Amino acid sequence: MSEHSVNIIMVEDDEGHARLIEKNIRRAGIANGIHHFVDGTSALDYLFNAPDGPKHNGPALILLDLNLPDMSGIDILTKIKSDERLKRTPVVVLTTTDDKQEIQRCYDLGANVYITKPVNYENFAKAIQQLGLFLSVIQVPEVGDA
Amino acid sequence: MIAGFVLLLIAGAASVVSARRNQAQTERVNHTYQVTGAIDHFSILAEQLETARRGYILQQNDFALRTYANSMRELPGAVERIARLTADNPAQRLRVINLRAVSERHRASARTTIELMRNTNTAMRAMADFEVDSSFEKMWRLRAVAADMKAIEVRLLAVRNAAQARSTSTLYIVLGVTALLIVLVMGGVVVILRRYTDDLNASQDRLRDLNTGLEGAVADRTTELSRANDEIQRFAYIVSHDLRSPLVNVMGFTAELEATIGPLTALADRVDAAAPELMARDAREALDDLPESIRFIRTSTNKMDRLINSILRLSREGRRTLAPAPVDLAALTATIRDNLQFRLTELGAEIAIETPMAAIVSDRLALEQILSNLVENATKYLAPGRPGRIVVSARREGRRVVIDVADNGRGVAPADHERIFELFRRSGVQDQPGEGLGLAHVRALSYRLGGVIGCNSELGEGATFRLSLPDILKTEPREGIAA
Repeated sequence: MSEHSVNIIMVEDDEGHARLIEKNIRRAGIANGIHHFVDGTSALDYLFNAPDGPKHNGPALILLDLNLPDMSGIDILTKIKSDERLKRTPVVVLTTTDDKQEIQRCYDLGANVYITKPVNYENFAKAIQQLGLFLSVIQVPEVGDA
Repeated sequence: MIAGFVLLLIAGAASVVSARRNQAQTERVNHTYQVTGAIDHFSILAEQLETARRGYILQQNDFALRTYANSMRELPGAVERIARLTADNPAQRLRVINLRAVSERHRASARTTIELMRNTNTAMRAMADFEVDSSFEKMWRLRAVAADMKAIEVRLLAVRNAAQARSTSTLYIVLGVTALLIVLVMGGVVVILRRYTDDLNASQDRLRDLNTGLEGAVADRTTELSRANDEIQRFAYIVSHDLRSPLVNVMGFTAELEATIGPLTALADRVDAAAPELMARDAREALDDLPESIRFIRTSTNKMDRLINSILRLSREGRRTLAPAPVDLAALTATIRDNLQFRLTELGAEIAIETPMAAIVSDRLALEQILSNLVENATKYLAPGRPGRIVVSARREGRRVVIDVADNGRGVAPADHERIFELFRRSGVQDQPGEGLGLAHVRALSYRLGGVIGCNSELGEGATFRLSLPDILKTEPREGIAA
């Protein structure tokens, strides 16, 4: 994921969390553009409708929080994974929930990675930085590739 | 009813008495018949003797002689028989003596006649004697005495027959009354039995109705309780979960802030060295105070983190699916004691398990958590200067099992008996580590197992925690709580 063309789309209602995530991803050496959305509606609009969004333009990687004010992250995950063009887009679920059933459900729906946010900040920072290192080596498919 | 049986008893006795009296009367009637028979027998023998004697005078043949001998032989016996039979009757006794005398004279005269007749020389004299002999008179008197005696017996017979008839009819009446009484008493018994049976059936029906109503009420209450419990669990989950998010920020940015201390201090040091006039005093002080402020924030957020995790654990425990199985309470308590053995030895305390313990079907893990919490609490809050003694017992009370964990520790003030079960609340001197979660956890678990828990204690007098659980835990399908 070294190319700048891969967009990181972060759906996170908590501004603070978003900031901390961004900081720690950057610390891992990831310089890709990060688009941040605080609610599900605007995130979906960007994903599916925006001219520079993933559906119409270029590969993307999605960081998804499950607890959103207007909808559940599960809804967004379902929409992404049932869309012909977006279904291969990697989705990293990054949330506070560590409920077993919830984790299983996300993987069943096609989530690629599930990470529980550690409350302890040191662990949090470490986890996000490791995620950043992970992101720097994975391959993201081109949107629309057959 | 008892009166009926008493009457029946009396009637039975009366029946027996009158039957025996009737039998006695019959015997007396028979006796009278025997007497008249005996008199008749005597009369016949006397007449035969006379006939034989006269016959022999007319014609000396063997037949007359044999009849004579026979009558002579039997007559004394016949008289004695009458005497024997009439011995009980004073009126007859004199007559018997008379009869005997007359009979003896008659026999004597008959013997004389026959002996004279046997000798041909004296035969004529015998015939002459017979002419002058008062033979007719003797026979007449004999007949008169016999008739007289017979008349007395006949009169007696009439009297006795009448008495017998009376006693027979008395017997019939008594028997009739007894039979009637039997029928009445039986009827009474049947009526009373029917009434009792009806009463019994009615109360059984009523009991069944009440029971059904009670079960319905219990089911309703249980549903309400589990709904309330579910709601609390959901609430606890959401609250703890949503409290976590801001905490991540507080802790995260505190760490970020802390990370700036190093570079800022280095900068201040450099400024101090290069151009001390640029260094403001309050800036330096602010920089020096920063670590302390951050330490306070850290301590508080760590504590909050622990509390939230506790609530989360509580709510997660509340959502765990219960698995009812037979639990050996004695073995479970023994395991808990063994796990605490090191601490117990250190404290000089002991745990007594009162066996046998009641059988229970419940969730083993929940029971273990409840009991170990209670036992650990008991070892934690011992009274100073008194060797700790904790007694665990379990007994059955109807459909429930009551488990007591009693200690001789420092006790709980009555005002705190309910408070100690609340989340984050503690009682007494705060000299032991803890968050005030244990008993809240215990109470939540008890409710989940369909039980109740309470505390009975006086300050300084030890405490007894009483857990009452259903003997068989029934699990209902619970709706899952989404995250």
